[in-house]
Amino acid sequence: MTSTLEARELVVVREDRRILDGASILVPPGEAVAIQGPSGSGKSTFARALATLLEPDAGAVLLGGLDAQRIAPTQFRTRVAFLAQQPAMFEGSVLRNLEAGPQVHGKSLSDVRASELIRAVGLDEPILQREARTLSGGEKQRVALARALANEPEVLLLDEPTAALDPDAGERIVALLRELRARGLSVVMVTHEESHARALGGTLYRCERGRLAIDS
Amino acid sequence: MSYAHITLPRLLLSLALIAVAIALSRRGRLGLERDLVWGALRGAAQLIAIGYVLLLLFNHEHPAWVVLLLAVMLGVAGATAARRVEHGPPRTVLFSRAIAAIGAGTLVAVVPVFAAVVPLHPWYEARYLVPISGMMLSNAMNVVALVFERIFASARSEADQVEALLALGATPRQALERQVRATLRAALLPTINGLLTVGLVALPGMMTGQIVSGTPPEQAVRYQIVILYQLVAVAAVAGMVAVGFARRLLFTGRAQLVLPRN
Repeated sequence: MTSTLEARELVVVREDRRILDGASILVPPGEAVAIQGPSGSGKSTFARALATLLEPDAGAVLLGGLDAQRIAPTQFRTRVAFLAQQPAMFEGSVLRNLEAGPQVHGKSLSDVRASELIRAVGLDEPILQREARTLSGGEKQRVALARALANEPEVLLLDEPTAALDPDAGERIVALLRELRARGLSVVMVTHEESHARALGGTLYRCERGRLAIDS
Repeated sequence: MSYAHITLPRLLLSLALIAVAIALSRRGRLGLERDLVWGALRGAAQLIAIGYVLLLLFNHEHPAWVVLLLAVMLGVAGATAARRVEHGPPRTVLFSRAIAAIGAGTLVAVVPVFAAVVPLHPWYEARYLVPISGMMLSNAMNVVALVFERIFASARSEADQVEALLALGATPRQALERQVRATLRAALLPTINGLLTVGLVALPGMMTGQIVSGTPPEQAVRYQIVILYQLVAVAAVAGMVAVGFARRLLFTGRAQLVLPRN
């Protein structure tokens, strides 16, 4: 079961500058949404606010109709998985990275599940034993995705997942996101790449000067 | 008790040791001459002053004076620990927290010892209370300064790791666990090294002083053992309390990482 993720009129002010100026979005269950805009338009700030990693000065984030303020951050972020532009790999093997999410919730990750996850992001099982920090940019993105999926989230929220990758690797990530959406996950992707935003399918929002508008 | 008196001319003679360091600094162009002169004079002035303060205190022992002196020592320790934390919040924010951490560590180490191991008569007996508390305050000060310096710097340099954990649903405590562990290990290491090398490398100042001034060595050693264990407790408690404060400064109530601005 996935829930609707919504942002209502988010405002973020930093040093007298309105980085977000009433940005709103609606992500129905199982839908894909791309947010496209030039750098400096506020889209990364929006993604972080939507992930509750940054407190907006005004406005609200809602999950399943419930204000995020009324959901424990640990719970919200388990249901809405956020991936930074260049996801940090934790020390140790890829497997240890995959175990991180369940571990913080006092659970363990079975070997079978770890294999499933790594295959779901298009990687082969031997990579589980490799040192995560030595992977390529594209591999790190995939491992970060698998790591997020280990928490069985309802929504995937990605900030510029293709920005640090070469065009081929970027396209493969977008294809992977489409696949994950087809399996029932909601996907929100922030990108400055118009082609990737369109390739994701679903609703396309444009971000300009801290506001979002549906691209018609 | 008999001990070799240090006359004033002899004391001045010891200044030659500073001259050696100054000469080496000059030769090596280290530029430390001014610091060495200032440090030597300031250190001597502070010790002479506290010598007179202690003399006064011993002659007119009154709880208010003892408590006042300890409060001043705590204040100076707090101000020193909160100073120059490069990647941390401003001094004004850290000062009260440094005081609380140093105070908590010192209380935990000092109160049980004076209650059960070295009973004081009266409870404010300055001869014991002031020097031993001073050693505890000084160790706590160093630990708290190290904790503040290191935890804010590592939260900044490893912010992406901390946020990645928060994004996986970790609590602030879980997200900062690695940095906290490294910080506390680094902050406690000097105290633990002190435990391991005491008697082998260094004879502690207080024990040396006691022996030199005529206390039987086996009693001086017992005092030193108690003090060593107190120093460990002080370091652990002050370090943990300081980490707790730092954690609260680094995260909002909604588990968001907020790095202090420089």
